[in-house]
Amino acid sequence: MAKPKIGIYGLTGCGGDQLMILNLENELLDLLRNVEIVAFQEASSVQQDEEVDIAFVEGSVSTELDLERLKDVRKRSRMLIAIGDCAIGGCVQAMRNQEMTMKEKMEEVYGKGEEYFKVLEPYGLSKYVNVDLELQGCPIETTEIRQVFLSLLHGDTPEIKDYPVCVECKLNEYQCLLVDKGMPCLGPIIAAGCNARCPGLGIDCVGCRGPIMNETNAAEELHTLLEKGYDERYIENRLRFFGANFEGILKLSKMLREKTGGARGK
Amino acid sequence: MMENVFLPKLAKIVKNEKMTAMEHFLRLQLLDKKTAEEFQYNLGQFIEISIMGVGEAPFSICSMQNQKYLLDLCIRSGGRVTSAILRLGEGSLVGVRGPYGNGFPLKEMEGSNLLLVAGGLGVAPLRSILQYSLKNRAKYRDITFFYGIRTYDTMLFRDEFNSLLAGGDESGCKFYLSYEDPKDEQCLLLEAEYSDRCMSGVVSKLFERTEISPKDTYAIICGPSIMYKFVGQELTKRDVPPERILISLERRMRCGIGKCGNCIIGDGSSIRYVCKDGPVFTYWDALHTKGMI
Amino acid sequence: MTSESLDAFVNNLETYGKIYGPVKTGESCSFQEISQSKEMALNYSRTMIPPKKFFLKLKERMFIFDERECEYEETLEDGKIVVFGIHPCDIYALKLMDKIYLDKNPDKYYQMRRENATLIGYSCHPDEYCFCQSQGTNYAVDGFDLFLHELKDKFLVRIGSEKGNKIASENSKFFMDVESSDIQEFREAEGKREKEFTLKLAINGLTDMLALSYESDVWKEYADKCFGCGSCNLVCPTCRCYDVVDNVNMDLKSGERQRMLNSCMLKKHGLVYGGKNFRPTRVERLRNRFNCKGSLREDMMNCVGCGRCTVYCPSKIDYVEVLRRVRGEL
Repeated sequence: MAKPKIGIYGLTGCGGDQLMILNLENELLDLLRNVEIVAFQEASSVQQDEEVDIAFVEGSVSTELDLERLKDVRKRSRMLIAIGDCAIGGCVQAMRNQEMTMKEKMEEVYGKGEEYFKVLEPYGLSKYVNVDLELQGCPIETTEIRQVFLSLLHGDTPEIKDYPVCVECKLNEYQCLLVDKGMPCLGPIIAAGCNARCPGLGIDCVGCRGPIMNETNAAEELHTLLEKGYDERYIENRLRFFGANFEGILKLSKMLREKTGGARGK
Repeated sequence: MMENVFLPKLAKIVKNEKMTAMEHFLRLQLLDKKTAEEFQYNLGQFIEISIMGVGEAPFSICSMQNQKYLLDLCIRSGGRVTSAILRLGEGSLVGVRGPYGNGFPLKEMEGSNLLLVAGGLGVAPLRSILQYSLKNRAKYRDITFFYGIRTYDTMLFRDEFNSLLAGGDESGCKFYLSYEDPKDEQCLLLEAEYSDRCMSGVVSKLFERTEISPKDTYAIICGPSIMYKFVGQELTKRDVPPERILISLERRMRCGIGKCGNCIIGDGSSIRYVCKDGPVFTYWDALHTKGMI
Repeated sequence: MTSESLDAFVNNLETYGKIYGPVKTGESCSFQEISQSKEMALNYSRTMIPPKKFFLKLKERMFIFDERECEYEETLEDGKIVVFGIHPCDIYALKLMDKIYLDKNPDKYYQMRRENATLIGYSCHPDEYCFCQSQGTNYAVDGFDLFLHELKDKFLVRIGSEKGNKIASENSKFFMDVESSDIQEFREAEGKREKEFTLKLAINGLTDMLALSYESDVWKEYADKCFGCGSCNLVCPTCRCYDVVDNVNMDLKSGERQRMLNSCMLKKHGLVYGGKNFRPTRVERLRNRFNCKGSLREDMMNCVGCGRCTVYCPSKIDYVEVLRRVRGEL
């Protein structure tokens, strides 16, 4: 059987997800033996714009150039996998989405009357093209990308974890930081896959893997943390940091905006 | 050494044949002769098939136990395990555990009329009963088979059922076919030829075509979950007692033996494991167990 | 047995396997391996993860496979353990687990570990979350090898099995005959303990109350609060659902089958082929969980009143409160 052709591409993002593929280090060569890489932006200057079996795309669509490149990649790939939060929900770039316009944002950062890129409000890939699989994380986990590679090479659809970090905490018998210590842990609504790395180190989950698709009870997270004495704006910011474009959090933000009549501090 | 029920037994694929766009017919032969001989199953029981590196999923057996060591299954693609099975060639090995579940009470049904109502893939376990009852024809009175399909293309075991249609009552069974797509050309042709036995509509419409004698009939329904409610109601309307209406359920089953808990249904007064208390239940159970249908 | 003998007795238990006992870990407690009795926090209220973890592991490899050899191979680890300090509720929970995992199709992993384990119970005092008295699980009648009841300066020790009897006779130097004054003290201590329970739940007829409340709004109301995080299941001593995955190695030919505890509050629990989910939202999942816990499956209460699900629920869903709502008491 011919080796599957793989392309690894990056849009607007930090490159961390591609780096996690490189971080497979010891197993990387074994893995690459089974595939043909035609593009790997972060690892090689070779860039062949040919058809691929699987395209891995990291980064959000934040410029018109991103969008153009994404559409091109989609056209010539059989399967498109979004890797990392940027490519799924826009991640940190999107944290002020819908709170202010792009023009306002650009002016705030670069000042009035400057020349900018042709920017778009940051979103994940699925807003524009059909995405076959989404691998959450900021960045993605090496263990997960490894398992995705192996599943695909084995001929199967990879299984993505769609349960919260709480499950991994319990399976590892990590102390509950939310219940026992009253820390502002986002574990109950954030997708697992990190093996609860932070809670295992005593650090409350900041939500870097993004909320669980279609399952996020953001309103209850707000309520729970309010009860523990945290400030509403602080909680909202914490939720929006990685997850501003996720349905549950969008809804919550909208509700909070309506409550305060749109008069939100920056 | 204690037996490990979770360790699959190896079986060879002796046939992996495409039946429709979605379904394959799969015939397995257990490798170990002793295991194969001991592998006695009741009709309506299921097995767990393992594909190394992919996982395990439950499938009901679709033939009666007639050829030693052979297990016939009907596999619909779509899931991880099913897709993996479909790409395996003849001669490949898979893992098998089972048989599990209760199966149909064939003994108890002796001397009665049988009404088998199948929808879509639900035809698989019912085919085994049809085979058995035709083979043991004297033990049962009237045998009626309702089969609901979407289009002709999705019809499983086409040759077998076509010959039942063509054979009429001579085949030993009154076979009725319903199809959902009223424009399906091949079905229209069938209907033109066998107008009394073939009609467009959902499977419960077939009740318009035949008389049911409620006192001595066992009805067995198998199909998508929505079907149980409608067919169950039709049968109840015709006074078939709910305890003589049998249904076979589908649920997520990781173990098949009442451990993993994924198939639990019911309310506080009626918690059931579909895998070990079922998969065959009565319509009475369904009426008294919340969430069953 | 005198209180002073406890250290020496626990030391001697090494003969019967690695000793595990309740150890303080931050604000909560966990059964961990210990070498001396003083490492244990024997006045603990509850561990987050119940002792089921010794028998149905939180995560475990079931077997390995190799496609080239067409082989499934068992990988069972073995080893004797002593679990010291189990409370009555957790003993009842293990009795229920036994009924499920040691039925006519016994689970070999569970069975081996169960046979290799010695269970030593330890008396406790209820806190505001304990309602084992209501569930009838506050006094372990059997299901243990030895049970230590803490009295003023001694322990009254009950023997619950042949294994326990053997341990007692091999360690007879620690044990004294029971005197009538001991019995009197025990009786008083138990009587006092019975009065310490503040949280109560009426369980008679609960199974039917649950059935009758199947369409109740209570489920929707609590489902709005629920995260669907699965914590309640994972900390429950009687929740026994697990999920299974196959992991392939880099050679794409060999790998392992692994199972891990699962939760009926998670999306995939009711999912079957083709995307059909029998419990699509938290409403159905929450209702299913409470109905399962409130049932008499295996002829036993499926909840032992340990209070863990209430304590560890991040959104503070109170198990007893929900069921009192179901009963119409609140």
